[in-house]
Amino acid sequence: MSGFGAMHPAVALLYYAGLLLFALLQLHPLFLLTEIFGIVLLTVLQGQVRLLRGVLWFLPVALSVALLNPLFSHRGTHILFYVWDRQITLEAVLYGLVTMTMLLTVFVLFISYNYNITADKFMHLFAGAAPKTALLTWMAIRFVPLFQRRLREITRIQRVRGIDTGQGGLRKRMKDGMILLKVLVSWSLEEALQTADSMKARGYGVHKRSSYGGYRMDRLDKLVLLWLAACACIPLAGWLAGHGVPEIYPRLKPMEWGWEEGWMYAGLCLFVLTPPALEGKEKWLWRSSRRKTYPSATLKPGRTRCMNSPSR
Amino acid sequence: MLLGPSGGGKTTLLRHLKRELTPVGTCSGRIRYRGRPLAELTPERAAGEIGMVFQNPDAQIVMDTVWHELAFGLENLGYPPQVMRSRLAEIAALFGLEPLLYQPVHQLSGGQKQLLNLASVLLLQPKVLLLDEPTSQLDPVAAREFIQTVYRLSEEMSMTVIISEHRLEEVLPLADRVWLLQDGALSVQGTPREFARDAYAAGAVSGVRAYLPAAARLFFALSPPQIAAGHPEIPLTVREGKRWLLGTAGPDRRFGSTDEPAMHEGPVQALHGRSTGGQPTGGDMLLQCREVTFRYERDTPDVLRKLSLSLHQGEWLAVMGGNGAGKSTLLHILGGLEQPQRGKLTYAKGVKAGYLAQNPLLYFSHDTAAEELQHMAQVAGLGPEEAARGIAGLAEAFQLGGVLEQHPLDLSGGQQQKLALAMVLLLRPAVLLLDEPTKGLDPGAKERFAQLLQGLLQQGVSMITVTHDVEFAARYATRCALMFDGSITAEGTPAEFFGGNYFYTTAVNRMARELLPEALSLEDVIEAWPSTATRC
Repeated sequence: MSGFGAMHPAVALLYYAGLLLFALLQLHPLFLLTEIFGIVLLTVLQGQVRLLRGVLWFLPVALSVALLNPLFSHRGTHILFYVWDRQITLEAVLYGLVTMTMLLTVFVLFISYNYNITADKFMHLFAGAAPKTALLTWMAIRFVPLFQRRLREITRIQRVRGIDTGQGGLRKRMKDGMILLKVLVSWSLEEALQTADSMKARGYGVHKRSSYGGYRMDRLDKLVLLWLAACACIPLAGWLAGHGVPEIYPRLKPMEWGWEEGWMYAGLCLFVLTPPALEGKEKWLWRSSRRKTYPSATLKPGRTRCMNSPSR
Repeated sequence: MLLGPSGGGKTTLLRHLKRELTPVGTCSGRIRYRGRPLAELTPERAAGEIGMVFQNPDAQIVMDTVWHELAFGLENLGYPPQVMRSRLAEIAALFGLEPLLYQPVHQLSGGQKQLLNLASVLLLQPKVLLLDEPTSQLDPVAAREFIQTVYRLSEEMSMTVIISEHRLEEVLPLADRVWLLQDGALSVQGTPREFARDAYAAGAVSGVRAYLPAAARLFFALSPPQIAAGHPEIPLTVREGKRWLLGTAGPDRRFGSTDEPAMHEGPVQALHGRSTGGQPTGGDMLLQCREVTFRYERDTPDVLRKLSLSLHQGEWLAVMGGNGAGKSTLLHILGGLEQPQRGKLTYAKGVKAGYLAQNPLLYFSHDTAAEELQHMAQVAGLGPEEAARGIAGLAEAFQLGGVLEQHPLDLSGGQQQKLALAMVLLLRPAVLLLDEPTKGLDPGAKERFAQLLQGLLQQGVSMITVTHDVEFAARYATRCALMFDGSITAEGTPAEFFGGNYFYTTAVNRMARELLPEALSLEDVIEAWPSTATRC
């Protein structure tokens, strides 16, 4: 990972926390659309377009919110038409659309969050504060794929004994499933005893745990952190002063767009677009070096790229 | 170095030396560390200065990635990040772990895992290193690397190492002192050469001689007793053994010199009969696989590549090969646990295969050993009487009679393995597929297990064994095959197979190959040796 993904997790966390806050507080369609644009741009620049496919699955949920809101909410004064003697109001339709956009924003945000802040990075941020909880979580994280692998092995062997969850009636399948789990548990407990020994042997519980912390905050991290925080303050201050929130209920008001909103939007844009800019800069850097001609014929420019990029 | 049979008290002794792991029970006597009772050490020093690595490479690992696992001990003792970083850097460089640093632990091989375990103990800068059969789950190459690393540490950092081990050939010559623990008591001790002398003197009945390396055994078998007793330099390594052997054999006793082609027609040919040209030695064909190709997932490389293999009635085929050569996968395919993508696997009519995995725990799901066997008999479709007879017979043959009412997980490792084998045998397989059956067994147990398998062979069960254990294969298999790059590259009777190998062969063969190119075991050499020197 390079660019934004390689930065200190605290930076990424601030970014996503800020975005989430804005998405939930400022239901301004333009703001929301800008946020979606920023995140999608970041994801595309990181080469993870396939992750965005998840949106397709989420789309029906978001659309149904937009559709159902006017059917259930009848607040507002601008009546468009009647369905089953119920009035459909313009306010409810608009509110539904804004909610849909908000949900989409949050969804896209979490797609990107999951890619950039892995469980590992998240734990690093909090390992210092709660070392024991962090340790437990880490061990649990390791156990999930471990148990999956073990269960696969057990299933393969026990099939010979006629214990197979893929065959027979429901009752037998459930029973067999339980047997497989029993084998898994006894095996894992057996190993856990040895793990406990190994932990004790290395001084677990002797001292208050410290945290190694694989990520160091460098100058750029600090700068970006400050910059993001500063940018975030502008829309937040505007919101506190009551700007930038369109009034839909109980009665739609025409959207104001004064200089306060202009400032807020500018601040938001700077905030949202900083990570894509960092990512883009990285991309551009490598792109331009690709154009360089190499004296050696065997060293293909396309290959040096992946060889040089620091991989984690 | 600690030697001795399983259950002889090696692990218990080592655990007494590691304060955190002292077993519960009544304990008398004193353990001193640097002149002070071990119990008086501060917890930090006890954890840091006495490090311990255990047998199972997987179970010792706590964390999910390599660097994290390395940091675990340091985090426990509350070191500041700066100290951790520099220590980690040092050890990672020493062990060459940098490329693996960010890998998830489960992607490492067994040998890498064990080196990681060693490294994470060394990060605490121990003064004493306790190793409890650390290489018993590793293949020979990984084991050698591990042992060499430990040796280097003890040489370069003058670290005290106490190791319990079954791999005599590699470890014994490196040790300063050797202790043999039997039934909880120290029976033989001394420097390796003193140990070899005393162990031999203890006589054949005591079973102590099984703990001699091949070179020493060869030496004692071939030299007259009066000379053997007074000889100052008992050979311990292959090099010393070879030098002694060539020196003793002398020019007059040489069976044809090395530059004569007659060497290949030496007395050994009479020993093993004529070359069979790699042809199977048994009777009817039991199973045949033709050009089998297999991979686990669509995008992964082929594990097996156009592999052809056949097994005949009454054969014991040993399949050898490096780690990741696909040996276990081959057994899975033969056992019907996986389906090959291409190629054909045919069993003779009515022939069933029974597969015994490396880990016997996979087989147990009931509360007592007897229930396990009964359930298996049901699956096999045996009637109640037949089942009772079958189980009684197996319990008798496998010496499991006394433990039938115990929980399978309470049995010792060797008993678990036997129980799992008994369960597989209840299915009445004509072909037995065994994955690393000798892993982690002490010399005595290995011998007994081999006898058991030979008994089965005589009863008409043919076998395919996947093993790293060259000595075991040379001694018991009727045919050997080498797997490399997904297919069988060499095949033949043990004599041909190992006689042609340079590295992948028994210690005795490496010592005696210039004189007797096809002699694999001590017995072969003794038989071919001029009678004047023969002494069993």
